[in-house]
Amino acid sequence: MTPILTGTKKVVTGNHAVSYGVMLARAQVISAYPITPQTQVVELLSEFCANGTLRAKFIKVESEHSAMAALIGAASAGARTFTATSAHGLALMHEMLHWAAGARLPIVMANINRAMGPPWSVWTDQNDSLSQRDVGWMQVYCESNQEVLDTVIQAYKVAEKVFMPAMLVLDAFVLSHTAEPVEIPDQALVDQYLPPYQPIYKLDVNDPHSFGALAPPDVYMELRYKMHRAMEDALAEWARADEEYHELFGRRYGLIEPYRTDDADLILVTSGTVTSTAREVIDELRAEGRRVGLLKIRVFRPFPAQFVREAVANARKVAVIDRNISFGMGGIFAQEIKAALYNACDRPPIFGFVAGLGGRDITPHVITEIIEYAESHDDPEDLIWVGVKR
Amino acid sequence: MKKPIVFTSEREMPPMAVSLADMGHNRTGGWRYLRPIYLEKIAPCKNACPVGNDIPRILSLVSEGRYEDAWRLFRETSPLPGVCGRVCYHPCESFCNRKNFDEALSIAAIERFVADACFELEDKIPERPKRSEKIAVVGSGPAGLACAYFLAKDGYAVTVFEAASQPGGMLRLGIPSYRLPRDVLDREIELIAHWGVEFRTNTTIGHDLSIERLWEQHDAVFIATGAHRGRALNIPGEEFALQGLEFLKAVNAGQAVSVGTRVLIIGGGNTAMDCARTALRLGAQPLVVYRRMREEMPAIAEEVEEAEHEGVQFEFLAAPVAIRRLNGKLEVECIRMRLGEPDASGRRRPIPIPGSEFVLRADSVLKAVGEEPDLSFLSEHLETSEGIVIERAHGVLERAGIFIGGDAQTGPSTVAQAIRSGKEAAQAIKSFLRGERPPKPHKLEEALRINFHYFTHAPRVSTPQLPISERITNFVETKRAISGAQARAEASRCFSCGVCNNCDNCWVFCPDAAITHTNGTYRIDYDFCKGCGVCAEECPRNVISLVEEEL
Repeated sequence: MTPILTGTKKVVTGNHAVSYGVMLARAQVISAYPITPQTQVVELLSEFCANGTLRAKFIKVESEHSAMAALIGAASAGARTFTATSAHGLALMHEMLHWAAGARLPIVMANINRAMGPPWSVWTDQNDSLSQRDVGWMQVYCESNQEVLDTVIQAYKVAEKVFMPAMLVLDAFVLSHTAEPVEIPDQALVDQYLPPYQPIYKLDVNDPHSFGALAPPDVYMELRYKMHRAMEDALAEWARADEEYHELFGRRYGLIEPYRTDDADLILVTSGTVTSTAREVIDELRAEGRRVGLLKIRVFRPFPAQFVREAVANARKVAVIDRNISFGMGGIFAQEIKAALYNACDRPPIFGFVAGLGGRDITPHVITEIIEYAESHDDPEDLIWVGVKR
Repeated sequence: MKKPIVFTSEREMPPMAVSLADMGHNRTGGWRYLRPIYLEKIAPCKNACPVGNDIPRILSLVSEGRYEDAWRLFRETSPLPGVCGRVCYHPCESFCNRKNFDEALSIAAIERFVADACFELEDKIPERPKRSEKIAVVGSGPAGLACAYFLAKDGYAVTVFEAASQPGGMLRLGIPSYRLPRDVLDREIELIAHWGVEFRTNTTIGHDLSIERLWEQHDAVFIATGAHRGRALNIPGEEFALQGLEFLKAVNAGQAVSVGTRVLIIGGGNTAMDCARTALRLGAQPLVVYRRMREEMPAIAEEVEEAEHEGVQFEFLAAPVAIRRLNGKLEVECIRMRLGEPDASGRRRPIPIPGSEFVLRADSVLKAVGEEPDLSFLSEHLETSEGIVIERAHGVLERAGIFIGGDAQTGPSTVAQAIRSGKEAAQAIKSFLRGERPPKPHKLEEALRINFHYFTHAPRVSTPQLPISERITNFVETKRAISGAQARAEASRCFSCGVCNNCDNCWVFCPDAAITHTNGTYRIDYDFCKGCGVCAEECPRNVISLVEEEL
């Protein structure tokens, strides 16, 4: 076994960035079922468990449903837990996702965005994770392998603070299988940032409680109220965790990231890897003197509505790129942003673009077209399909 | 028990659904519509055992190395575990639930091991009131021995009358010693005698002593004279053929018997197999002539296999039609058969093929086409005596004080069936002497719902055998005993069907903590049991039943 030197840079894939993050976070129980394009995440973690790099129990299971169930048990007993999955695996977990959230277990999961079948696809889009919007999990969309690693560590910090589970999301292949230089933080610093998990209640034979039992109507609603309050608190906790991370490691990401938006007439909204491409396009257009800006949505749940309102308050138009589709309505990020802005005083018109489903490339050219469409049209449209062959 | 907590605001509540006080006030038993109950069931092996051996409990003892306890438990239900462990056709194994998982347990091998391991032990004979009634048992085969044993255990004075010079009946006269060594038989008869049973050998009823006299001198008589009269072939030249059973008796009695080189054995039952394997050991080349196919042979399959391994030859689908003597040799004219529709026995009926006659030559011919009881000493009497009522009741032919059982009643059957018959006769005699109706047999539900998930596959022990070359020249027992380690391992394979062995699964799984466990006894607190059925589902051995609550 070669000791992993922390505090150095390594060239790693997005999937392995997840694994290193989990290793540094000192997860204690990992349970997973393999699925493309997630497999490498747990493959490397299983090696870490086998060779002693990570002192964790690795539980092999027969399905994603069981993987989450196993973690629910482990987290209930006070362990720091991790799993990773993708697309159909996440869908199969659905019932247990509700359970983890309702039981207020700070489980952290990586979901590699993969389009849902049929037709079969292994390429990226966001419908798998966004289908789990309302289960009570925090969702964070990552743009780079470094952000992936850092977000794993931050996710534990926030989840264990507010007792809600967290899912970090990365694009299939574009991040999962693409290698980038990533700084592997120093373990001692990570330990300083992320102390061991302290549950309020845990399964303990010396202090028996019954967990998840029947709650009659006179108490159920209060427990739901508390979950929502925890999600609201999580907004501040993400901001605080990000700030502390910056102090120790020199990197921060924000809940959203406005880029050259201050004097922008048009703000493009993106999430995931599209953001990196869009940033290049914005720079090019800015060089031509066009007043365009970019807003990256990183934390999707809890939704940073107030941050978004402030970020777009001065824009004349907003164009949202959704790599997902809610059939019969439109792109989901666009809906969320519209909902967040509706009660605001100053709200710019919003154009909803759906692009890149099932892994179709969103190139600089595609992004330029989107911006030009929004610039050249006055009346906002809820759903504009980008690049559909008609 | 703490009082229930009433929350007046969300701030007082924990973040998740967690109990903060005793849940004792929440008597969830009221939700129940199915009630789990501990209801032991009969294991299929025990149910199939004619003798009624308590196999699961015996195997549990063996698995713990408690051989003496296991042996004493055998002797509760049978005086002949050493015999049965060797010659029983073990229907217990055919019904073993484990055969649906991997392979049935080798129960017979364990029974034999236990008997061998406890060969030196004796029954603990308790002080018991002596009863004045005297009982005569006619015949000392397995039925007579069992009847005598169970009556003597109850304090009755029992005398066993045996025509031969030594007790044992067909066990001694018919079964060759390579299957049942005589020291084993002698020992188990000796132990029966320890209970005060008197054996009067060389005494033939109807010859040395009449049945009337016997009846006058005893309060009850049990007739267990077996089935010793060999059936006839009813073909010309029959007189040149010896009865197979007579041949076996002579060899088993140690007489020098010469059958020559080529010996034909007519028949496909256990007597035929014993004759063939015995003749082989006398240096002959036996050929078994049977009118059906191998699958239809009434002999125990294992015996047929052993005969074949040892070199016995078979001529299937052939039946003798005449025997002739020619120049000191025998010529057996046979006819070829084909199989037709199944007959009353369920086996396909053999039909002669006209014109297919052929001749087999032999030095001697043994006929083994079945035996029947010879009750001439009895039937004459029954016809001439007045006031003797015969009725069939409770498995025995019963008249006022005279009972009949074993092969004498049923025709040739198995050792285990004979023991059962003798045991039932003992019960019938006790009831008769006490003027009671015999107890009705208690029907128990069979344990068939085994949760295989709790068991791991393990191969069945194979019984070591003498090499063929070391067997066929002598009468040494062919099967050897398994070792203690093998017996314990084999017994550990037992699922303990229907018999609680305190595995704690119910206690562990009960989601309401409604099962308590003290001194090996489980109790269900029905104030809290919701009737979810998890205990019954997770019981590996079908001990827990769910019954509907009466609403």
